[in-house]
Amino acid sequence: MEEKIVAFVNDQISSNQTDEKIEAQDDLLGGGILDSLGMMRLISFIETEFGIKVPPEDMTIENFINIETITGYISSK
Amino acid sequence: MISTLPHIVENAASMFPEREAFRCGKASISFTELDVKTNQLSAYLRKKGLKKGDRVGIYMDRCLETTLAVYGIMKAGGVYVPLDSLAPHPRTLFLLEDCGIEFLVTTPKQFKRVSALLAANKTLANIVGISKEIGVDAIGWEAISEISLESYSPVEILETDLAYIMYTSGSTGAPKGIMHTHLSGLTYAKSAAEVYEVTKEDRIAGHAPLHFDISTFNYFTSPLVGAANVIIPDAYTKLPASLSTLIEQEKISIWYSVPLALVQLLTQGVLEKRDLSCLRWVLFGGENFAPKYLRELMNEWPQATFCNVYGPAEINQCTYYHVPSLPENDMQIPLGKIWKSAIHKILDEQDLEVPKGEAGELVVATPTMMQGYWNNAALTMKSIFIAKNAKEIDQKYYRTGDIVRENENGELIFLGRNDRQVKLRGYRVELDEIEAVLTRHEGVEEAAAVINKVDENTTGIYVAVILHANQVFESDDLIAFCKSHLPSYAVPHQIEIRSNFPRTSSGKIKRSAITTI
Repeated sequence: MEEKIVAFVNDQISSNQTDEKIEAQDDLLGGGILDSLGMMRLISFIETEFGIKVPPEDMTIENFINIETITGYISSK
Repeated sequence: MISTLPHIVENAASMFPEREAFRCGKASISFTELDVKTNQLSAYLRKKGLKKGDRVGIYMDRCLETTLAVYGIMKAGGVYVPLDSLAPHPRTLFLLEDCGIEFLVTTPKQFKRVSALLAANKTLANIVGISKEIGVDAIGWEAISEISLESYSPVEILETDLAYIMYTSGSTGAPKGIMHTHLSGLTYAKSAAEVYEVTKEDRIAGHAPLHFDISTFNYFTSPLVGAANVIIPDAYTKLPASLSTLIEQEKISIWYSVPLALVQLLTQGVLEKRDLSCLRWVLFGGENFAPKYLRELMNEWPQATFCNVYGPAEINQCTYYHVPSLPENDMQIPLGKIWKSAIHKILDEQDLEVPKGEAGELVVATPTMMQGYWNNAALTMKSIFIAKNAKEIDQKYYRTGDIVRENENGELIFLGRNDRQVKLRGYRVELDEIEAVLTRHEGVEEAAAVINKVDENTTGIYVAVILHANQVFESDDLIAFCKSHLPSYAVPHQIEIRSNFPRTSSGKIKRSAITTI
């Protein structure tokens, strides 16, 4: 699960300027890796890929700050 | 008397010394602290040889240090140049070179990016905000805060001196720098404070990044009246449910952003679970706000007054429209009446005033107008219309490029553009710039960019491309190229490789037909 999300972020939506790939603990939101539309794309990827529904009240910093918290959130659903 | 932007902070420090000036997350700063810390930065920049009029880059995300940088640089007589820390490096490198920037003010978080910029740039000689070894003269924020102000004396600044340069999309493929003086920035700050009756009791949300002109309301108007400005950290701007919690907790009374941020709050902000009753003003600008969303939001926050703000970055603001009641239909919200800091004309293609009620280009004369485009006298000339005023003195008007008409109430209605500028997420994008960037790609012969619908609520850029003979590139290659040369909002959502374009009889690309074949 983690690998899939890491791959999606790195290949599809990251606006990272350095060549370094992001890792599970990297701050996705504050570090300039994702913009607000990138975040929306990530959420719809998660919904399709893992067959869950992410309601607006769950779209919070606590759940989406990095890939580790995202996988934790998906597992809890 | 407050006659320059730094006077704002000096005045606030004497009138409201202990009040909160800026907050970001858990970090907060009073007006006294702001005054002292910006003097320290100013003292450092002067000691390192900064001269009046020198351009200084600010390379940060949304954080408390932005405010230290803005006022520290201006107090030293410098001109601040906000750089989008998320922009592709080639674009940032262009700005650094175009402005001849030697000093860059940043934060430790940007260390990797700044290192990468330094490796490719020759002008940067001084970095403020990073204490680690980085190859050029550098100092951390901690060390700045220890600088003694015993022998500090302020730099004399005139209201006609340059204060800041903001870059925007340029149709030639290179961004253009809009130069503002202390007078133009301050006149805007005072006019906005008056229109919205901003007081020291207000708590203003700082949603716009520093490189977006909306931010001048947060950085200038807010401290001018002694209000508290709550800078919204980047993470919150991406997750509406967290953002609405922050607005509730911080008891925000004035909100100002592009419509997109408000639409996201409405659709994903879980507003029914938040108490946002402190909001008294909701200002939006940058592009049209779809009436169906505006109506829903006005229902959600009945205690707030909603205001459509209009004015290209070249003149800050020139009209406002306080939405009087729920929009009954889906007619576009008017731009409103010209405010009292400005005068205007509506001109036809021969530069003659149109009869009342007819469409034409809006031109505006105002002290909030820019001095011109940086390093581009020809473009500055082109952007100005000169008319004799009643005393037979030349009066300079800025040509907005916006086609408007005046309705029976004297309110301006936006009808379109006289060029190929479009708005995406509130940002100005020149379609010519997209084409110019793509034709710099080795494989591209011709490119034609238009806007189209991505889905029901989103518009994006579609580009059709013809490759040079025998060149093999995929659409993805070209998208990747755009990502490394354009800011994210200007990257096309679709690039289609074609063998030919629809053309007019004279051979010009028929852009109006480009998406339909």
